[in-house]
Amino acid sequence: MDKKLEHSFVALLEENQNIVHKVCRIYTDNQEAHNDLFQEIAIQLWKAYPKFRGDAKFSTWMYRVGLNTAITLYRKSKRKINTSEIETVEFKLKEDPYDDTEEEQLKLLYQAVHQLNDIEKALVFLYLEDKDYREISDTLGISEVNARVKMNRVKTKLKTILNP
Amino acid sequence: MDELELLKKDWKKDKSNFPKLSHNDIYKMILKRSSSIVRWIFIISLLEFVFWAAIAFAFKDSKEIKEFDNLNTDYIIIPLTIIGYCVLIYFFYLFFRNYKRISATDNTKSLMDNILKTRRTVKNYVAFNLVYLVIATSFALFIQFDQNPQIASMAHQAATNGNLFVFYARMISVTIVFLIGAISILLFFYWIIYGFLLKRLNKNYKELKKMDI
Repeated sequence: MDKKLEHSFVALLEENQNIVHKVCRIYTDNQEAHNDLFQEIAIQLWKAYPKFRGDAKFSTWMYRVGLNTAITLYRKSKRKINTSEIETVEFKLKEDPYDDTEEEQLKLLYQAVHQLNDIEKALVFLYLEDKDYREISDTLGISEVNARVKMNRVKTKLKTILNP
Repeated sequence: MDELELLKKDWKKDKSNFPKLSHNDIYKMILKRSSSIVRWIFIISLLEFVFWAAIAFAFKDSKEIKEFDNLNTDYIIIPLTIIGYCVLIYFFYLFFRNYKRISATDNTKSLMDNILKTRRTVKNYVAFNLVYLVIATSFALFIQFDQNPQIASMAHQAATNGNLFVFYARMISVTIVFLIGAISILLFFYWIIYGFLLKRLNKNYKELKKMDI
């Protein structure tokens, strides 16, 4: 029975693994940390699975557990290499007007998102995933109005990071 | 906000970049042990409970305590012991109740609330123990001065030498050093928990609170 539950869970997670990868992408900036966080989210999902009743979509439920793990439960590995600093230096050197391609802009955007704090990252993540403010406020446990206000502030903050 | 829209466009199409984990990879993962802060907080909290229980047991059969028991102390020791165990059981119950409430399926804020609540329970328990320790030690010291014939004769001798004040001062300083030792061990626990484990959680919790005012 337990084995059956395990395998049905793993199958669901395998199918929806991109959601977890995306959470890791927002919250980590190197492959090792990405794998670490992925593993912890998988464990937390499995631990919480008996409480999953199927009244919400599996994917919706994953967003919540995934973000909670990234924001609250996960302990960053000590071996973290600070690649973001290295990359920033590299980007600053390349900053000439001819390099303003879309790809370059995207790199800078991801870079800027990594500079946000954990809660702001959650807002950006849910925004990128097309979640409405009701779901955002539900996931984080804040009011809808405040989620909206904060989202606008995050947008402004991103702008400031990108155009100092 | 053109920038975020650009990011969103990329975000949506960007699916193939991620490593594709197989059923087996994921299966292996869920069998691994979690290294979440909740697990660490749980372990450390239990250590704190064990630490205080161990102190009580370790000293129970020592020579000094046996000697102490020969003095007329039941009127104070028995109630103190009963209170100590009742409080331990009460805090243990609270701790487990709070721990059971921690669920990754809650919203982020309640999850953080519940984690901090389990910590607060243990913190209160430890604070209780500290107060208890100070009270019990003061009583013990008082009873020793009052009833222990050995100490009485030492005090008497000190009095005849004119050193009574030095004698008392020395006894009290030894007691204070012992208390400082116990408090240092506790501070070490707190340094680990708050400086190390809960730093990020506290920061994020404050951030969420700030947003919701």
